[in-house]
Amino acid sequence: MSELSNTSNTSLPIKERIILFARNNMGLISTSISILAIGLALLIGGILIAIAGINPWEAITYLIKGSFGNRYGFGETLTRFVPLLFCSLSFAIAHKSGFFNVGAEGQLLMGAVGAVLVGAYIEGLHPVIHVLLCILAGIIFGALWAGIAGVLKIFLGSDELINTMMLNYVAILLVDYLIHGPIKPPESYLYVSATILPSAKLPIILSKTPLHLGFIISLLVTAGVFYLIYRTPIGYQMRTVGANRRAASYAGINIIWATVVALLTTGGLAGMGGAMELMGTQFKIVNGFSAGYGFDGIGVAVMGRYNPIGILLAALLFAVIRVGMGAMQRGAGVPFPLLNVIQGLIIIFVIASGYLTNRLSETVIGGRA
Amino acid sequence: MDAAWMTTIVTWLTMSIRMSIPLLFPSLGGLISQKAGVYNFGLEGMMLCGAYFGYYGSYVTGSPWIGLLLGMVSGGLLGLLLAFTSIHLRVSQLVTGLGIGVFGLGITGYLFRLIDISTATSAATLFSNVNFGKLSSIPIFGEIFLSHNWMVYAGILLVILIAWFFYHTTSGLNFRAVGENPQVADTAGVNVVLNRYLAVVVSGILASMGGAFLTLTQTAYFTENISAGRGWIAISAIVLGKFNPWGVLLACLLFGAADAAQMQIQVMNLGIPYQFLLMIPYILAMLAMVGFVGKVRSPAAMGKPYFKH
Repeated sequence: MSELSNTSNTSLPIKERIILFARNNMGLISTSISILAIGLALLIGGILIAIAGINPWEAITYLIKGSFGNRYGFGETLTRFVPLLFCSLSFAIAHKSGFFNVGAEGQLLMGAVGAVLVGAYIEGLHPVIHVLLCILAGIIFGALWAGIAGVLKIFLGSDELINTMMLNYVAILLVDYLIHGPIKPPESYLYVSATILPSAKLPIILSKTPLHLGFIISLLVTAGVFYLIYRTPIGYQMRTVGANRRAASYAGINIIWATVVALLTTGGLAGMGGAMELMGTQFKIVNGFSAGYGFDGIGVAVMGRYNPIGILLAALLFAVIRVGMGAMQRGAGVPFPLLNVIQGLIIIFVIASGYLTNRLSETVIGGRA
Repeated sequence: MDAAWMTTIVTWLTMSIRMSIPLLFPSLGGLISQKAGVYNFGLEGMMLCGAYFGYYGSYVTGSPWIGLLLGMVSGGLLGLLLAFTSIHLRVSQLVTGLGIGVFGLGITGYLFRLIDISTATSAATLFSNVNFGKLSSIPIFGEIFLSHNWMVYAGILLVILIAWFFYHTTSGLNFRAVGENPQVADTAGVNVVLNRYLAVVVSGILASMGGAFLTLTQTAYFTENISAGRGWIAISAIVLGKFNPWGVLLACLLFGAADAAQMQIQVMNLGIPYQFLLMIPYILAMLAMVGFVGKVRSPAAMGKPYFKH
């Protein structure tokens, strides 16, 4: 086989051979381009660390050691992975359905509020039932919060991008209000929510680490989400609406119904991420509960090119960077916002590199004739 | 009406004007970019850079002018980046804009934490108010309209300039044609790429001026995420202003008035939780989109990359 293709290849001019190679290896090439983009972002991060007068190599040692160099760090990385994965799935499913949901941050927060209400105030339930109810509450709260933007879009044609973004700010303020009064335990002098009951906590699945059951759940949900999008009729309808609204309407697809399902899923996923973070890691809501997971999720989805394997790998990378950045701050004194610098650059470079892959596939298709 | 109420109203009107300016600059920037057919969703990141570098320049040199210049350069560079990716690379303007937002939040926070540690006094030198001499002592009028720094008047002058450019000059007509129908504009000899580049870079500069307004005329300090979503509210103000510079000015005044009102209600201590008051501008931005989307026609080629044939 290899001999055959080799003989046929050698007779072709060099340009044709490159095109042939590219056509057979598009996945490999676009992955390499993504890795280059990440490398460039990390390089700029390293330069910024050097500007701060810190030895970049020393800082990177902390990053590696802190994120997967030891058992605890490894567990912490996989723990951070969970909300990132949920938020990126949320963005990806909305994107596939032609809906820009940049409100995962707010939906995650509201999901955590739902989970805290059920987890802290309903007593005497069997742990399995309590956990399931908490997750359900998280999904419902997240979906309803996204639903505000959805109602405005479906009934009034209002742009969801601005509305979901505005709802982030409103959610942050609303949660701030809630932890200053309504859901603050009366005896607490700190501004926090009530702590969820032990029966609502997710069990640890790797001893001596913070890694909890939410990790397994997040992987199952990922499989479920992509099954929904690619293997079910409603998923097909959502993708058609996302690809071409007019064509979907001519094909007799109920656009409103497809949008409603997309909305409930996108909000529900982010809300579920909030519930997981609450039930597995933080157990109560404090100021800054989300720490930007919603926005990171956009970066993860873009970098993962909206496909399941890509998103899993990208979420893992973002989790490594996030945990490693914490270790870099503690160990080498590198300010934590470098995390956003690198993630912003990754988003910009990966999306910009889409130009190269686009051009390449044009050439490859054009080169066939 | 008693004197206390009078004072409150005069203060409110004065503050309304002042609070509308940090929104007016990015809104005008976004308007220019959108008129030429490119979405600028990076306004928030550009504002943050303007705020930080404006602060930094003024704090280091003691001159707010140098700060402003530094801030404008940072915004212009981010504009150039957005222009390159959306005009030359033709990749998603939305995602690039979001990326610029995340980057802006990170780089300003990072650099700020680097300088802040060692300094005892870290206040920036502010722009002082324009001296109108005796005119400013005119009761009510003087306080409301003549008690501001030059950037307030520059913002309003900019509205006049942009309106004149769009609707009364040939270059303005060409400029708008680029955003309406780039193919036709190109055929007629208008340089689509150059016009779009200029638009996005100017847009970045204006957004950064809005950010610099915050640190160089109001707070004297930088805080992380100081723009607090104004770069996004600006996009709502453009729609509310029906893509017209005068409309955008009115929309910004409305947002400024809401912002000023919530600030004053906070001071009055009426028992309303401050979080709900702080929500007002965001909710208003959502309502603005509800009432006007559909009735407002945006430039026809907005957001679409241009392929020269």
